[in-house]
Order: sequence, then structure tokens, then C-alpha cells
Amino acid sequence: MAIRYWQMAAAAVGFRLVLVLFGGDLHLASRPEVSTPLTSLRRLAEGYWLKQASVSPYSGSMYHGSPLLLSVLGPLTNSRPDGHHAHIYCSLIFVAVDFLAAMLIRATGHKLQMARNRSLKSLDLTKAVNDTVNVSAGDVASLIYLWNPWAIVTCVGSCTSPIENLMVVIMIYGACSRLAPLAAFGYVMATHLSLYPAILIVPVILLLGYGPDAPPPKVFLIKGSSASKSDESDNDKTTRQRVVQQFSWKPVLHFIFWLFIWSCHVLLLSSVILKKVGGLHEMFEKTYGFILTVKDLSPNIGVLWYFFAEVFDFFRNFFLIVFNMNIIFVVLPLAIRLKHRPCFLAFAYTAIVAILKSYPSAGDSALYLGLLGLFVNELAEMQFTFFLFFGYIGVSLLSPVMHNLWIWRGTGNANFYFATGLAYTCLQTVLLVESCAHRETRPSSLLPTCQAIYSSVAEPIKS
Amino acid sequence: MEYIVGLLCRSGSANPLFSTEDAIEANRFMKGIEAVAGDSRGVIGMANFIAQQIEALGAEVCYHKFLPHSKNFHPLKFFTSMTNDIAVQPNGTATNFGINTIGIVRAPRGDGKEAIVLVTPYNSQRVQSNELLSLALGFSVFSLLSQAAWLSKDVVWLSADSQFGEYAAVSAWLNQYHNPVFLSHSVVLHTKMYGANHIYDGNSEKTEVTAFKRAGTMAAALIFKVGETRRYSDRDSVMIYAEASNGQMPNLDLLNVVHYLAVHRQGFRVNIAAFSSLLSSAWLRVIAEILHTLGSVLRKINPDWKLDIAVPDYVEGTANLANSMYNQALGVPTGSHGAFRDYQVDAVSLEFSPTFHVKNENAKSLFLLRGGRLIEGVSRSVNNLLEKFHQSFFLYFLTAPSKFISVGVYMIPFALLLAPLPIVAAALADGSRSMEKTVDKLIDNGKADDIADILQSKGGSWKWLRAAKVLLVIQLWAVLVSLLPYYITQIPDATPMQSALIWAVLSIVVLISLSVLFGSPYSAGVEWKLLKATMITSISIGLGLMSIINFATAQLGALIVIPMCLFSRPLKASGMNFLPRAVLLASNIAFAVLGFPPAALLIMKGVSKGSWSWTIDVGDFWVWMEFLWEWSSATYLYLFLVHLPCWLLCILVLLHPCRQSESKMKQE
Repeated sequence: MAIRYWQMAAAAVGFRLVLVLFGGDLHLASRPEVSTPLTSLRRLAEGYWLKQASVSPYSGSMYHGSPLLLSVLGPLTNSRPDGHHAHIYCSLIFVAVDFLAAMLIRATGHKLQMARNRSLKSLDLTKAVNDTVNVSAGDVASLIYLWNPWAIVTCVGSCTSPIENLMVVIMIYGACSRLAPLAAFGYVMATHLSLYPAILIVPVILLLGYGPDAPPPKVFLIKGSSASKSDESDNDKTTRQRVVQQFSWKPVLHFIFWLFIWSCHVLLLSSVILKKVGGLHEMFEKTYGFILTVKDLSPNIGVLWYFFAEVFDFFRNFFLIVFNMNIIFVVLPLAIRLKHRPCFLAFAYTAIVAILKSYPSAGDSALYLGLLGLFVNELAEMQFTFFLFFGYIGVSLLSPVMHNLWIWRGTGNANFYFATGLAYTCLQTVLLVESCAHRETRPSSLLPTCQAIYSSVAEPIKS
Repeated sequence: MEYIVGLLCRSGSANPLFSTEDAIEANRFMKGIEAVAGDSRGVIGMANFIAQQIEALGAEVCYHKFLPHSKNFHPLKFFTSMTNDIAVQPNGTATNFGINTIGIVRAPRGDGKEAIVLVTPYNSQRVQSNELLSLALGFSVFSLLSQAAWLSKDVVWLSADSQFGEYAAVSAWLNQYHNPVFLSHSVVLHTKMYGANHIYDGNSEKTEVTAFKRAGTMAAALIFKVGETRRYSDRDSVMIYAEASNGQMPNLDLLNVVHYLAVHRQGFRVNIAAFSSLLSSAWLRVIAEILHTLGSVLRKINPDWKLDIAVPDYVEGTANLANSMYNQALGVPTGSHGAFRDYQVDAVSLEFSPTFHVKNENAKSLFLLRGGRLIEGVSRSVNNLLEKFHQSFFLYFLTAPSKFISVGVYMIPFALLLAPLPIVAAALADGSRSMEKTVDKLIDNGKADDIADILQSKGGSWKWLRAAKVLLVIQLWAVLVSLLPYYITQIPDATPMQSALIWAVLSIVVLISLSVLFGSPYSAGVEWKLLKATMITSISIGLGLMSIINFATAQLGALIVIPMCLFSRPLKASGMNFLPRAVLLASNIAFAVLGFPPAALLIMKGVSKGSWSWTIDVGDFWVWMEFLWEWSSATYLYLFLVHLPCWLLCILVLLHPCRQSESKMKQE
């Protein structure tokens, strides 16, 4: 199994490398589905150039990313080897970043699996444990991430999304393995790069406090009460008590401490980089301000650009508040419902962010689809999968064609492209609702029906 | 829309200024260029003469040198039509090149941001009198416009050197017009065109003529040429060609203006291309008669129903429609106007067919007068436009020069064709789920001693993944097959027959190696219903996409693909009576044969020739496909990425062993 897994992973990395090295210029960087004003590497090169000329990189509304990326990736955008496309060194870094992210997803999957087995054992369901060890969800998830066409396109298409995704994955991995400094680093960097991951603080704190996903506490309580009726040794009881974990404050406080330290670091570095060219205030205005006020209305696969292009100016502020609050609104209800599944909660939040963020791209979807793979066992009975799968394929083919029709051929109009954006948002919503609903109706996932999914999804990685 | 058209027509139908003097001017030009063409200097002499004449008018002039376009394999080019082809290949020397001569009139009332383009193609290598006549016509209109005080858009007159084909000349010029190339000095030095320097002999302002000149954004383009003389017709006629690449059409308003001015002002007979075989076909006439009778009966019932189309009208309309659909579906432009559409410029080609003898000076003058007035009228209409054409229709089929079927009408039958697909797919996918439920019941009843076994056979809601895997492998195969010609064309001196055979053999090899690599489609135990559901879903995505890219292809393809998909059923599947099964079997096999592209082509050829004694020539298929990809037609991609995988999946369904379902039946 392991050998097959490594073969597949190596093939995915090799495929990316082939595309980067020999694919020529695929013009992916100019596709609105791939690079957004926030993540475009072309804009980053422009910002770097401005900075070299001792001008603020944020002048002229070209660059809206982090100054840290500017100093890490900027020098690489300058050199251009012959016969390759412009940003080949950056693309090579992104391949490595994607691989690292996939490895971390795999490790997260293993952590989740271990935690799950532990809780199943404590519920005396050793048979279920034995039944379901066929495949590890982590392997499936990381392969989904590596072979997802959108992840590949994002990686090859010269945009900084892979780095943002990596930071989110680092945060989740750090939280799952209760490494507070790592989780804090991922959290601070992800928030710094694209702001929206800020809402992931809820699952991170839950993960650090309660530990990885487990059946709801009431299952343990029922089990405990039924067990207490029959005579049982005290020893067993105490082990069970240990499994039903209480919220532990220590790692959380640890996390908050490190959060503070990393934030200071990032702000300090940014202010050093921007010392003579602009300053922190301009950085916040041009990055977070740009994200929250949706200033760039060039088309993307989201729905906000169209809405704000149409809305009357005097309603604009009101709707800005409404749309930004939308994300905040779902945070609390989901947190209450899924508090025993913090990892799944993290997936749900990333999906919601990908749907509702102001400049979404295919890279965001690649991230949450990869995370979805972590719950492959639990979602074996999910509905509408056939519809969703082909819907995603259809939308991702339709979108460039509609864009071409509108921009190049002139026979279509903005509504054509926006329609694909709407369809895409609907598909994502259906996916999210279905996965959450299914996750809830089968909390314990004790039915061994997962075998079917093993034999199909994980067929390639069976030895 | 009607308002705009009305406005246009009114403006274009103001008293034409093109007078007999302009016709005399044209005659003078023609005499001059005839003398030059007879001269030994050929290409350069003619271009030089045209340039001198343009300069004499006080207009700007420049030359555009270009090399023949190398025919490459670029199937995706239709999608990225704005790619920068370097107009002049940077290395190597060429003795064989063409020269376009471009004259530009700057509008006295304009800001130089918009332009109207007039194109007259001529073959500089083999000059014919009718081409000289069209040059003369172009020159006389240009000279008239150069004196017009009312122009608000620049006028560009391109006399395109069509020795490598009209399209090549026009597209090379358009490419340089829209994509400026900044060649380094060394490249310019390396690219020597022998003889190209002679062209500047007569001109002292060398640099001024060599520089490529531009006018504003093109509002519209009109390509006109004088074709062969036709004696048997009573009136001079104009043939309109409008189909650009991949079924794109110019805005209907442009066609309307041309048609209105040609018919109602200048008294031309306006035609569009038709399938001549349909015009004379007996069965179409019979259908027309029946429809006419039915229509007249209906008319008696309700006088408002005007359904009684006259028989000749119906036959002609059908022949025109068939040709319009065929040209759009082929995705190959019918003339040099196609090059303009790639840059979103509306363009239309007019081919005049005069009825007089070339020596008849009187008739020639009259023809020049009317032709000149038509072109002047169209230029005026476009000149008076405030915006680019954008109202009206871009998506339509022509049934007559003045009649069309718009997208709103023709989408309905296509949507009806497509509608059953998602329903059937959902039914099939659900059908295989309901089977699982029976197994679930078995488990509930406690009969299931061997739960694991049943679970193996049952799939959960992700069971279709296996079918999807088969689909993806086949799509991968299709992509590889569609890319193979790129490598096959590299083989030197291969006949079409050899190339086609190599292609076929390689495709089969790839298919076999893929099935070894990923496992045979049946070994994983894919249910045929799920396979069919997957196939139907993929085909509906494919047809939906194609209907946006090129509707005519999707429509014609759907007629074959949709019944092929819906009827497909394993030959071994049981559970049907003899008669329906036999009918289904026969139709399955018929569609499997018809659906295979080479077979379909062969049959089509046989039918269009009308004789059934055709010889089997595999090479023809190769030639045909070469034609499609040279013109970067999306039809090629449709055939290989949508149609071919669907056909293969159909064959897989037909040959499905049905082992699993039978074992399930036994279990029940």
C-alpha cells in the first residue's frame, strides 16, 4: 500500500514538474479562475520592481499581497532563464510547497485515524477498528490534493495560492498534533496572507483544547451509563474518563502566547521591509482593506464582482457589510454543531471561505477538496456525489469557454460568465451542506459500509 | 434591432455620389494595371502601380510583406485566437513572398479611432481580367472616399496579394495590424526577401513607405471581388459569404445592409451558397409539396396561419440552410472574412458575378457604377454608425439572404434533444442504488450470513467512481489520439493512406497499453448501468460545451450521439421480449457503425456522391482531419474529445459481460 502511495505521489510531483519545465507558457496566469488580484505572481513581480525603485510596492493598485512574499519570491521573479516561461523558479518552489502540503495532510490524516481508533477502542468496538484499517484517509486525502486538477493548475499557473494553502494546512496539522507553536505560526501566516483563515481560530482552539475528532460526548456517556449498570472494574472506568476529554486550557494558552509572538514577528518584518516605502498602515489598507472593500471588480469565479459592479453606489457600503458578515454569521452555529469534530469544522470553514471570499480562485477549492478527503470514511454514504463530481467537471470546463465567448469572441456577455460562477457556487454549497448533513447523521460511522469506498476510491493505493 | 437597421438603411440610401466619372476613373486604372501586369515585373510592378495611384490621390500608402502561412497542427488555437504569431518568420531567407498594398484615407471629420476596411484580393502571379476589374472597382471607391468630406471613420483599402490564398494574405496583414512585432535588428537582417528591395526603387521617401501604417479600430470590413462572368443569368448577381471560423457569423445587421442596398437600390440578385444536390433532389420536392398542401389546408381553416410555403422557396431554403449549417459545423471560414472575425471585426465577402462579356465596355461601366454605388452605400452606413455592431444577432443560420433562423429558435430543438440525457442518467444511477436497497433488506432480515460478500458487491453512493475511472481513462486515450497527428505529420513523405494507418495502429496500441496500465474496464466489475449513466453525463457536458463553441457541430453531432447513447444496452443483457430486443440490437449495431467517425465520413461521401459504388479510401479520412486542424477548427476537438470517447464507451456497454447483475439476480 505504502509503495503504491509513494508511486502515485511521485507521479503527481513529476507531472507538475513536467508541466513547469516543458509545458511552455500555458497562459494559465492570465486566467481569472487561477490567479486573482491578490495571488497573481505578475502583480508580485510588479510590486517587487516598484520596491526596487524605492517606490511603495502598493502604489498604483497593482500589488495587494504580503511584503514577506515580496522579499521571498520577488528576487526570483526577476531572473528569467531562456526557453522557459517567466516565473519558472517560483513555479518550482510551488511544486515543493504543494508536496509539503500534501505530506502534512497525510500526517494529519494519520493523527485523525489514531485518535479515531483510540476512541473506538474505548467504546469496545475493536471489531469496527479491525474492519476499517484497510486504508488510511490521510493517504486518500493527500492523493486527492496532489492529483486534483485545480491544485495542479494553481501550482503551475504562477500564483501564490499554494503558499496560502500550505499555511492553512500547517495550522491544522499543528493543531491536530497539538504543537502550539506550529499551529500559531500557520495561523498567523495564513491570516497575514489572505485574512479569511482568521475564522479558523475556532477549530484550532477546539483541536488544541479537546484533541482531534471523536464521537460526540453523549455516546461515551450512554456507553458509560450502560456499562456502570453491569459490574465493572474501576480501572476501565478511569480509562474511559480519560478518553472523554475535558477542555484543557494549557495548550490553548500556549497557542495564544505563540500567536502573540509570531504576530509581532510578522509585523516587525513587514515594517522592516516597508521601512522607507510606505509603511504598515498602507499595508493594512492595501491588503486587508482591498479584500474587505472588494475594490477590484474584474471577473473571477465568485459572485461578488458581478454584484458590486451592478449595485448602486449608495448601497455599496451596506452590502459590503452584509457580505462580509455572511462569513461571520455561519461561524458560531457550525462551531456549536460540530464542536466535537474540530477538524471537520476546519474543513467546513475553509469551504465557506472559498464560497464567500471576495476573490476566490480554484486554489481555494483545491484546499477544501483535499481536506474533504480526510473524512472519506465517514462520507461513504454521502448523497449526490455523482451529480457533484460531474458538476465540478462541467463547471470547470464551461468557465473558460464562457470567458472566451465574452472577452475574445464578443458574442457573449458578462452574464454568461457570471452564470458559471453562480452554478459553481451552488455546487459548492450543495457539497458543503451534504457533507455536513451526512457527517451529522452518521456521527459514529460505525457501519462498515466504508468498504465500498475503500475498494473504489482507494483502489489505486491498495497493494 | 429594426430601428438600427432602419437607421442604417436610410443613411446608406442617401443619393449615391459614385458617378460615371468614377467609373471612368476605374477604367483608366484598369488600363494602367493591365499594362503593368503584362510587364515582366509581376508582383512588385502591380503593387508599385497601386501604390503610385494611391499616392496620387493624396492618401497614405504602405506595403506589407508576408510569407506563406505554414500549416501547423494547433488544435486549440481557436480558443486562444489572439496568440502572437510572428508575421515574418525570423530565420531563413525566402524568395517567395507576397506583398499587400494598403491605402489609408484619414477621415476629415473623425478622430482616427475607427476604420472601415475594404479588401480586394488579386493573384499577383496569375492575373485575370476579373481580378483586375475588382481592383479597379476598389480603387474607384477608394478614390471617391478620399474626396468625401463626410467621412468620420478612416478608410483602409487593402489590395491583398492572394498568391498563397486570400485568407493567408488578409490574416497576415490583420495579425501585424493587431499584434505589433518588434523584431530585433539582427532578425530583420537575417530575414531577407530577395527582390523586396526593388519595390522602393521609384520612391524617394523610403522609410515612409516601409513603415507599417495603422488606422483606428476596425468597425467593419467588406471584401469584394468580381468572379467569373455568367452568361445565362439575366441580372448581375452578388454572392454573399459570411461564415467565419467555428460557426461564427458577422452581425446580422451588416448582412441586412448589404442585402437591402444590393437588392433594392442597385438591382443585384443576391444569393448565398446552397447545396446544389439538394436543389435538384426529388424527395425534397415531394416533402415540399406535401407541406405546401398541408399548409394550404391549414390556411383555409385559419387564414392567419401562413404555413403554405411555395415549393421552390422551401427547396431553396432547405438547400441554403443545409449549406449554412454545414459550413458552420465544419468550422472552416468560407473566405477571407473569417480572418476578420478572429479579431471581432464583422466582415462579409461579396462576389460579384457579372453577366456581360469582359470586352463590352458599356456594360462594364454600368456594372462598375452599380457595384461602386453598393460598396459606397455600405461604407456610408458603417461610417454613420456610432457604435460597433452589437444589437441584432451573431448566432443564426441563413435560409435565404434576407431570412434567418435565430439562436432563440434553433436552441429549442437542441434543448429538447439534450433534455432526456440528465433524466436518463439520474434514472440509471438511481436504479443501481435501488438494487442495493434490496441487498440492504436482505441484511435487515438477517439472512445475510456472509455480510462481507454482499458488501463487496454493494457499493455505497460512491460506486460510480469505478465507471468514472473508466471514463477518465478513455478520455485520456482520446486526448492522446487527438494529439498523435502532431507527431505523425513529422514523418517526411508519408502518403495520407500511410499516415491514417499509422494513426489507427498507434491509437489501438495506446488503448491496449492504457488498459494494461489501468486494468481492463470490465475487470473492476463496473455495472453497465453506471457506465451508461457516466457516458450520458459526459456526453451532455460535451454537447453543452460544444453548443456554445460551435452550435452547428453540436446540433449535427447530437443527432448521431444522443440516440447512440440512449439506445446502448449490453448485447448479453436479458429481460426483454424477442421483438424489442431484436430492434434494439439492430439499432445498436447500426449506431455503432454510424457513430464511428471514419465510417460516418465514408457513408456521407457515398451519399453526397449519390453513387454507392465508392471505393474504400482510408487516406480520405486523414486528408479531412488535416483540413480541420489546419484551420484550427473546434470540430476536430469535438470529434476526438467528445464523439470518439462516447462511441468507445458505447461499444464497451454493448460488449458488457453482465456477469455481476446476473449474480445479483440469483441472489435475490
